[in-house]
Amino acid sequence: MAQGILGGFEQHLLLVIVRLGRDAYGGDIGRELEEHTGRRVSRGALYTTLDRLEDKGLVRWTTVQGTAARDGLARRRYIVTASGLSTLRTSRQVLQRLWSGLEDRLKDPS
Amino acid sequence: MTDPRTPPRLPRWLLRTLLPAGDRRDTIEGDLLEEFRSREHAAAWWYWREALSIVIRMRWRRRTKGRSMYLDNLQQDVRYAIRSYAKAPSFTAIVLATLAIGIGASTAIFSIVNGLLLRPLPFPEPERLLWINEANAKGGLMSVSWPNYRDWEARAHSFEALAATRNNSFTMTGGEHAERLIGRRVTWGFFKAIGASPALGRAFVAADDAAGAEPVVIVSHGFWANRFQSDPAAIGRRIVLDGRGFTIVGVMPAAFRFLRDCDLFVAMGAFMDERPLKQRGDHSGYYVLARPKPGIPIEAATSELQQIAAALEREHPDTNSGVHIVAERLGDRIVSDLRQTLLVLSGAVGLLLLIACVNVANLLVARGAAREHELAIRAALGGGRLRLATQMLVESTLLSAAGGALGVLLAFWLLRALVAAAPEDTPRIDEVTLDTIALLFAAGAAMLAGIVFGSLPALHASSVAGQHVVVRGRPAGASAQSHRLRRGLIVVEVALALILLTGATLMLRTLQRMTAVDTGFTPERLVTMELSLRGDRWDDERRDAFVNDVLTRVRALPGVDGAAAVLSLPVDGSNWNSVFIADGVPLPARREDLPSAAITPASPDYFRTMGIAIVRGRTFSEADNTAKAAPVVVINETMARRLWPGQNPVGKRFKQGWPETPSPWREIVGIVRDIKVFGLTEPTPMQVYMPFGQDAPRDFPIVVRGSGDMAGLATSVQKTIHAVDADVPIYAVRPMSDIIGSSMARERIAGLVLTVFAIVALTLAAVGLYGLVAQGVIERRHEIGVRIALGATARQVVRLVVAGGLSMAAVGAAIGIGGALVMTRSLEGLLFGVAPRDPSTLALVVIALLVVAAAACGIPALRATRVAPSEALRGLN
Repeated sequence: MAQGILGGFEQHLLLVIVRLGRDAYGGDIGRELEEHTGRRVSRGALYTTLDRLEDKGLVRWTTVQGTAARDGLARRRYIVTASGLSTLRTSRQVLQRLWSGLEDRLKDPS
Repeated sequence: MTDPRTPPRLPRWLLRTLLPAGDRRDTIEGDLLEEFRSREHAAAWWYWREALSIVIRMRWRRRTKGRSMYLDNLQQDVRYAIRSYAKAPSFTAIVLATLAIGIGASTAIFSIVNGLLLRPLPFPEPERLLWINEANAKGGLMSVSWPNYRDWEARAHSFEALAATRNNSFTMTGGEHAERLIGRRVTWGFFKAIGASPALGRAFVAADDAAGAEPVVIVSHGFWANRFQSDPAAIGRRIVLDGRGFTIVGVMPAAFRFLRDCDLFVAMGAFMDERPLKQRGDHSGYYVLARPKPGIPIEAATSELQQIAAALEREHPDTNSGVHIVAERLGDRIVSDLRQTLLVLSGAVGLLLLIACVNVANLLVARGAAREHELAIRAALGGGRLRLATQMLVESTLLSAAGGALGVLLAFWLLRALVAAAPEDTPRIDEVTLDTIALLFAAGAAMLAGIVFGSLPALHASSVAGQHVVVRGRPAGASAQSHRLRRGLIVVEVALALILLTGATLMLRTLQRMTAVDTGFTPERLVTMELSLRGDRWDDERRDAFVNDVLTRVRALPGVDGAAAVLSLPVDGSNWNSVFIADGVPLPARREDLPSAAITPASPDYFRTMGIAIVRGRTFSEADNTAKAAPVVVINETMARRLWPGQNPVGKRFKQGWPETPSPWREIVGIVRDIKVFGLTEPTPMQVYMPFGQDAPRDFPIVVRGSGDMAGLATSVQKTIHAVDADVPIYAVRPMSDIIGSSMARERIAGLVLTVFAIVALTLAAVGLYGLVAQGVIERRHEIGVRIALGATARQVVRLVVAGGLSMAAVGAAIGIGGALVMTRSLEGLLFGVAPRDPSTLALVVIALLVVAAAACGIPALRATRVAPSEALRGLN
């Protein structure tokens, strides 16, 4: 399967899901992302992007029983698929190639 | 402890309402709730914001995703359709062939009708261009007399242009061989009237029409390209036509055509010395083209001309009494002969297309019926009615698109064949092509077939989905509804096939009658060819010597039984018709009531060569055949019977022309049998033969009767003629049978097309009937098995099956007869020797149809007799 280029947000989501491991539930992904980026993450963007990643076969989810904190409503736990991991690795390689040799120019002047 | 805080109601309600129910919505709602409860500050505000963003973004995604869903479905349907058609190759082949025939035939015929009838002439405002004849008191059409035309020109004010023209072929010499060219004499206003002008050089001016003007000519683009290699220096060059020099002053554009291909347009100035131009009573082949001034209605302009003609009648009672004008639009004039044939063909083709569509619908319904099981399962699994109907429509549209494409290929080939078979002089036939409009027609016909008749099974199939068809272990039979539908369609097909069959049979009987017509001569083993002796070097003496020399030499050729020269060939019309007076025939009170006859100069050997029997007296001898001999004529039976009933006309006298015409009195020396003059179906006119040598024409055919290899003989004759004079053009070399064949061309085309269509229609109806009856046998296996088990004989079983099928055919035939009685009236002008409602034809057709239907039912009926009762009974679930 041809490996597509990941958008920035898509990449962040995938990385967060990998980082969270077995705790990669929908709400947790959003909070974790906000912590790392320091910016608010629109939940609309979050869920539509998760749907898109699922359509592309880069993530899959399983339904888990809900807790009392959410009135028993079910949860989804997300996992990055092998294809998703492969796409992440490719994206990193691309970024590294683009970054290489530019350290001096992109150095923080302070 | 559970946090009792609940999120704001409205955004929660929006989430619940606008997101589709399911675990997706639940997880999102749960995530938001959990986070809402974990926030310490501004939780409600956060909830509002995120709930709205979710609702907006997810609804938007769903809508755009849905659109691609439709495309995905379409792609799926197309792939599915292609696969399922590939799995049923014979069904697909039959449907495609049926559609291809229907669409192909109708597109080809439409192209012809469009090219000949519908498409406007390629001139500006063609509907305002008039073609004007004169007519005598009895309404007989004539060409226009030149002095009359000049008076119209002088006196009329309503016309922007008024021009006279006539066909004129020329012999061009000065090259390697003498060549015959097709040309037109035109007055200077001709191009102005049609709205065309030369691409190179100049148009004619008034001075070109004056007597004594330098002879000038405008040539066609084709002529210029062939003879002068498109050299602009051709302007000003001279060519020799009929022994005279003409200067080229212009070249017409490549796309220009007036009615037919024409090499030259020659200005009238070169002909102003000719005698017929000075005689008001001489209608020598000129016609007038007229274009009324802008703003003046055609009727007003024509009425002015009528008044001028009436004035001329008063001023010149000798020549003009009863002579009036007949004006019609040029477009109408050109196709008036063809209109009926074309309309009949269009009707036939419409029927064929209808039959093809009905047949395809039948097949699709049958297929749908066979798939009821499959469709029921799909419906049970959640496929909606709309989805199923859409799929059926996609399938039928795909079929009709493929059938349409094949049909266009067929149309291309068919069109070429029809154009080749068309009568030689069919006007505008060379403009007929498979153009954009014809292709649009084909596409439209395909769409019509696909959508209208594909929707029938689609609607039917989708209603199956709504039914509660029990899913059994085996497919159940087709529903009663689809059966009724198919029976109805078969009845319609049979009716349409009967109509076409009736038309075809009537045309075939017409052709049979026409070929059986007694032409009055023996057409076999006769070859004809036309000669042209134009130019100043051909005076009467030289012409006579040439003709005699040629005929003598040709008669001496091996294999030749006779050779003769004549002005007009039988069946091919008469090139000279004239009024006359005769002994014992009282002069009528009005000049226009003078009798007229076809006048035919013929060489002495003509009657023997043609096989025309002598009834009384004698024919010409060589002694009669000179200008100095006593003037004699031979008449035909019709003239003898009409003018001198019960008497012996031999010895009586005849004089061609008006009483004051300076022509000699001639003695009638013999009577010959009637021959067909104006085609095969027109009654024979009065005909007078004169010795060729006493009034030799410049253009005439010769006929040669031979034995053995006629083609080789024709070549020898041409060589012989050229041995006498190499500069005489010879053209239209053809056997007499070709001439007779051409006179039947219209009827032949109609007969051919109708027969082919009728056979196709009958085949389609028979195949449809066979399919329906065969399926019925399969479905009734149980019943048939039981009957056989109870003692039914094979004959009884066959009768049972065939009766069912024949009843449909009988109903179709009854409806078809009604249709045939109505529609065959449109054939009236084409029929000969048989009436449109001829009862024996109808009976024959009905019997033939029922026989074919019985055969179509018989095959499955015979198979039914072989049903083993035990097998059939066991097959029941």
